[in-house]
Amino acid sequence: MKLSLTTTYISVLVLILITALLATFADASYKVPAIIVVSLAKFWLVIFQFMELKKGNVFWKVLIVAFGAIVGLITIVLL
Amino acid sequence: MEINYKSIYYPPGGILIWIVIYLELFTFGMALLAMAYYGSLEREMFHQSAQLLNKGIATANTVLLLTSGFFVARGVHFFKGKEWDKTNKHFLIAMLFGLGFLALKLVEYYQKIQLGYTMDYNLFFNFYWFLTAFHWLHVLVGIVILFFVRLSVRKKKDQVATEDVEAGAAFWHLCDIIWLLLFPIIYLIF
Repeated sequence: MKLSLTTTYISVLVLILITALLATFADASYKVPAIIVVSLAKFWLVIFQFMELKKGNVFWKVLIVAFGAIVGLITIVLL
Repeated sequence: MEINYKSIYYPPGGILIWIVIYLELFTFGMALLAMAYYGSLEREMFHQSAQLLNKGIATANTVLLLTSGFFVARGVHFFKGKEWDKTNKHFLIAMLFGLGFLALKLVEYYQKIQLGYTMDYNLFFNFYWFLTAFHWLHVLVGIVILFFVRLSVRKKKDQVATEDVEAGAAFWHLCDIIWLLLFPIIYLIF
């Protein structure tokens, strides 16, 4: 458990670093989708690991994955 | 009694806190999509306005909030293992990181107000103030909840229900995940 939480924490820190790099150096053509995808990865990692939704019923898991995917997709399409 | 998390009625923290979480996510999600929509109509203005934000402070705040969430998650783990002192210590550290987030955000707000970038400045800053200030209030409420959960664990120890501690922690993580959505859209993509 502790290892899993620490691994998640380090993974999300790395993803924050990647987000900052993408925001600074990424080409405009793929900057928005790349930042959104990395941000959603952080979002889901926190929910499934820190909030322990991985232990929950599939209904709650599908709902949160669908929410992130829909918001992310619409944002990418708009921008 | 062992909680059956696989039941649709018992997600970690209980069904009520998850209904709150989804309602909050829906509210913030709709506001962020509205921001993205208006941003697509006025790309140049949103781009120029986003350049006026302090990305360094926002990134530091992301790390502060995430670190706080990490300590809360560990605190819940220690609570389940009946390690009360470690639980208290971890919740206290989490609260301190949360206070750090609030303080740093106030520094950012002060800078913006000094420069005249208030809610009336333009539509981008309207969204910026509305979303980040609403989130700031959530973090403040989250710290108060953590304070009382910690107090309860200190006094009552194993008489405190696991679901109550998980629900308090879930609200704190809600602040974390909302910020993980706000940060890229407000600060990075325009």
